[in-house]
Amino acid sequence: MKFDVAVVGGGPAGLAAAYKLASAGFRVVVLERGREPGSKAMYGGRVYTHWLDKYLPEFRKAAIDRWVTRELVTFLTEDKAVTLETTTERGSFVTPLVSFTSWLARLSRDAGAQIVTEITVDQLARDERGRFVGVKSGSDFLRADYVIDAEGVNRLLLERAGIVERLKPETVAVGVKEVLKFESRKLLEERFGLGEEEGLAWTFAGYPTEYLPGGGFLYTYRDSVAIGVVMYLKSWDKLKTPVYDLVEKLRLHPYVAPYVRGAMLLEYGARMTPVVGINMAPPKFHYDGLLIVGDAAGFLLHTGVLIRGVDFAVASGVLAAEAIRESGDPSAEALSIYEKKLKSSFIYPQLEKFRNVDRILGDETLFRDLPIFATGVVNRYFTIDDKHRTLFEALRETSKETNVSLFKLLIYMARAVRNI
Amino acid sequence: MKFVVLTKAAVPLSSAIRIDPKTGTLVREGVPLTANVWDRDAVEFALEMRDRYGGEVVAISMAPPTGILALESLIGMGVDRAILASDRAFAGADTWATAHVLAKTIEKYVPDFDLVVTGEETIDSTTAHIGAQTASWLGVPYLYYVYNAEVRGRTLIAKRFLEDEGVDEVYELKMPAVISVLRSSQIPREVKLSRKLTAREHLQIVDNSKLGLDQDCVGLRGSPTMVVGMSPAAYPPRKRIVISGAPGEVAKKVAEVLRELGVVCAVSGLQ
Amino acid sequence: MKYFTIEERLNANAWDVDIHKPHIVIKDPEKCRHCEKKPCTYMCPAKCYVQQGDYLVLSTEACLECGTCRVVCPHGAIEWNYPRSGMGVWYRFT
Ligand SMILES: Cc1cc2nc3c(=O)[nH]c(=O)nc-3n(C[C@H](O)[C@H](O)[C@H](O)COP(=O)(O)OP(=O)(O)OC[C@H]3O[C@@H](n4cnc5c(N)ncnc54)[C@H](O)[C@@H]3O)c2cc1C
Ligand code: SF4
Ligand code: SF4
Repeated sequence: MKFDVAVVGGGPAGLAAAYKLASAGFRVVVLERGREPGSKAMYGGRVYTHWLDKYLPEFRKAAIDRWVTRELVTFLTEDKAVTLETTTERGSFVTPLVSFTSWLARLSRDAGAQIVTEITVDQLARDERGRFVGVKSGSDFLRADYVIDAEGVNRLLLERAGIVERLKPETVAVGVKEVLKFESRKLLEERFGLGEEEGLAWTFAGYPTEYLPGGGFLYTYRDSVAIGVVMYLKSWDKLKTPVYDLVEKLRLHPYVAPYVRGAMLLEYGARMTPVVGINMAPPKFHYDGLLIVGDAAGFLLHTGVLIRGVDFAVASGVLAAEAIRESGDPSAEALSIYEKKLKSSFIYPQLEKFRNVDRILGDETLFRDLPIFATGVVNRYFTIDDKHRTLFEALRETSKETNVSLFKLLIYMARAVRNI
Repeated sequence: MKFVVLTKAAVPLSSAIRIDPKTGTLVREGVPLTANVWDRDAVEFALEMRDRYGGEVVAISMAPPTGILALESLIGMGVDRAILASDRAFAGADTWATAHVLAKTIEKYVPDFDLVVTGEETIDSTTAHIGAQTASWLGVPYLYYVYNAEVRGRTLIAKRFLEDEGVDEVYELKMPAVISVLRSSQIPREVKLSRKLTAREHLQIVDNSKLGLDQDCVGLRGSPTMVVGMSPAAYPPRKRIVISGAPGEVAKKVAEVLRELGVVCAVSGLQ
Repeated sequence: MKYFTIEERLNANAWDVDIHKPHIVIKDPEKCRHCEKKPCTYMCPAKCYVQQGDYLVLSTEACLECGTCRVVCPHGAIEWNYPRSGMGVWYRFT
């Protein structure tokens, strides 16, 4: 059992790497614990395409359900909602991660990569000098010149190898989601005001996480929608509703329910995601014989309610493949080219730039104040009773009644503008 | 010894099965298929006997090409090779027509078989017909609910357990023979990386041009039975019961509770 | 509109449950006894952890393999692994 490259994990990162390496003539094996590639895949619902065009332009032939044309953000409280909407031009598409992953698996298989499913890797194998020389599963040892760790967010293997510590509640969030199927594709389009192939991406702040850090989301697939909640683990002890009931509360909220009425529950899933990816990054992304890609490396951007991981995963997989191709040998020194590539690509600069976003998003008061304030102001502004308020009066009254200081909000805004 | 395991690509152990309220048939969309869970008991049983007596285990399935995944999984567990009998003409088969294809595949590709092993039943159709019907097509003896067996010369000494009666029985069968294995009586081994890597090389796909079966004996045309209706059952809620005490007492109480709930009828000395 | 209980939601899924070996085990039930807030009972999306009288009961058959319990458990009482041989949850639509 000897390969040029062994990839642990058949997610977007591992499969992208395998595809590129196999295309370049390497003997590649992907080890995936699921029954099929994609059978353990769960995410929000959309993939951003700007960087995919550069790193994996083939994606345009992938199973794309819809292109996002309507983008909504709603500040939601128990009984009020304020929604901002914008139209967008084909910068992202919505599709189940299962579809995207199985497409990518076919692509890499066709290029010559071997994908072995139902195999849980237990250990990254090292030689007596500590170099990574393959993987272990049960009593089997598979030897490889290079190992790519694409095991995703839980990264048991990196932990067992002593490269990273156990995940902490401060660095991760859990996402819980339902997929609801409509009677027909047309019915979904009518409900959400979409044309054929047009899609909607909708995020919610406030109510879905009981005003704690995190948010809600709704994406339209072909004839189903993905609706879910992402909750930062560090705030768990302030939750009043157990996390397994949060999605139901969002689905049944009077502002959301009319959109999904009558839809049938197809699936219920959960998975963790890094909060601020770079804050859970391993000390290095390359070691003797080993490269780390995707979620396992913390390559993910989470700006409050938007999560971008798939394009980072794919791009880092592609860069790891390039690094192996150019390295000549698997020494850490030769593989340091991967780190250089990360730094000169969008990945590292973007993650660095958002490093401090944590300080804002981690601030629990923001998730309470902003939605309550925004809905309060708009509600007041549009309420005509004994007095007709100016916008400023509406702001001041809301501030007084909700105890949210205007000044504090302004500071948030300023910080947010700088960091998000 | 030559062992044959018959297997079906079935829904996994716990799976949402929806019945279309309009047509009354199973909704197939998004229903994944894998080796029938009780067939893994049969595979473990055969592998364990092979390890004891030497020889070869061949897995055989009649299925569309989606059956490949299930067979590869069994090869991953240690089955030496697998044969998938796959042909459009086989579609729509009931158990009788399926058993016909299986028996003929055995006769043609493993003519010197000693023991055919099947699971107790399939999880998604629960007929438990295939073992008995294959045995009658092959003209050999059949025994079901087996959980343990030994070989002496050409004789199989098999133990079986009858749940409803709560009795253990010992049988002697002349081989070749067919047996079905009591479900969850074995602990199926894990899928191994070293086996799974080369699974495809040990898989043979045969169609009717190779088997040459009479069109009237296979598929829908060869099926004397049909399903005329289905109705959904209600989901029972998950239950959690804490039982504490000395191990012996706990076991007794567990047995009692299971009996009360109707999960088992009788509990006796299943080793 | 009707509220779906967690059981109803889980019943929409496909699993291949390992009936012989749970992939998650509570190493040290003693720790759970003294665990004051029991975050696992709140944060497991599949409600696999339930406090029952004096005992914390874990049933792994509906586990979604997210890893949350391992991270929120303040006492490291959980031995967490992935199911083997392709067992466990089988997503099709997410
Ligand atoms: C709730 C939620 C919503 C999200 N929404 C979005 C979104 O809308 N858009 C977006 O771009 N990103 C989103 N993401 C992030 C995105 O899903 C991830 O960034 C992306 O999937 C990472 O890809 P990966 O290949 O690194 O890891 P994964 O997709 O996690 O793949 C890892 C693979 O490795 C396998 N594996 C793990 N360990 C082993 C082992 N020991 N042996 C064998 N196999 C193993 C797993 O089964 C899995 O298939 C979301 C994430 C969550 C949790
Ligand atoms: S959080 Fe950990 S220690 Fe506390 S009850 Fe749960 S498993 Fe036990
Ligand atoms: S891994 Fe996730 S779903 Fe499974 S028991 Fe832990 S928290 Fe629950």
